[in-house]
Amino acid sequence: MSVSNRLAGLTARPKNTSPVEVRKVDDVGEARGFVDRTPRKKPGRKPSPRTHQLHPKVFPEVGEAIAAEAERLGITQGQLIEQMWEHYEATR
Amino acid sequence: MPVIVMASPKGGVGKSTCAVLLASEFARMGAEVTALDCDPNKSLTRWASHGLPKGVTLHSDVGRSEIVTTIKNADGDGKIVVVDLEGVASQLVSRAISQADLVIVPMQPTALDAEIGSEALALVREEEEALSRPIRHAVVLTKTSAAVKSRVQTELENQLRGAGIDIIEPSLVARAAFSELFAHGGDLTSMLNDPEIVTGGKVDKALLNATAFTEAVYERLK
Repeated sequence: MSVSNRLAGLTARPKNTSPVEVRKVDDVGEARGFVDRTPRKKPGRKPSPRTHQLHPKVFPEVGEAIAAEAERLGITQGQLIEQMWEHYEATR
Repeated sequence: MPVIVMASPKGGVGKSTCAVLLASEFARMGAEVTALDCDPNKSLTRWASHGLPKGVTLHSDVGRSEIVTTIKNADGDGKIVVVDLEGVASQLVSRAISQADLVIVPMQPTALDAEIGSEALALVREEEEALSRPIRHAVVLTKTSAAVKSRVQTELENQLRGAGIDIIEPSLVARAAFSELFAHGGDLTSMLNDPEIVTGGKVDKALLNATAFTEAVYERLK
């Protein structure tokens, strides 16, 4: 008998892998101290990616003026800033 | 094909050595072996980084949530799955045991190893009861003396046999080649045939020991 033929005779027994069965195994393990030891992830919200935007509190008067002007023109502050940027680019 | 799981909540008993020897020896016999490294120490991954023997595939970083599906996916015709577990009492260990055809509990012949290793044996028996199916399990004594069998070893063997626990013979002798395998990768024959590799021990004796151990495991899988 060749070596590989010997191995061909080996078979695995069918096993149940359903969530119910896994839960049963977990319960048996936990009762003996075999508990979940997966390292916990760091709690809390992950830091947002940096946008390098100035916080409105840095220049509160400027922020308020932009907000008032945008409201008067009926556009968003972002649209107003885009227009200002276009103007700045044109006059540079 | 069968799933062989190395389990003991104690570290340093020889789980990874058993896993590497079985994976490489079964591959040498012609089997396609999938080794799963579930140990955070990544011993099998370190061994594989120096070169895997032909016929062995390694999956690293297998955790608690993936263990059942990874074993299921790796299992197939002509494949043997060898699982190396972490040396702690965790759910990862209990889940892997539930998918095993043979659980091997390596133990050094010391009272401490026997006491902590017996937790794994007890867990296997409780899982057998809960799942209503037998899970074959056996102890292999590791790092034993090549020259003489210590009194402690004889007593331990008697106690285990008295408790109806299967002991794999031969034990794995403390051989430098077994530990050096992790530094060279491959299998013991590649180590034996490479004149560049200088080991502190007898590789031929280590190979004989590993082959006899694998044969004994094979007999339990039939």
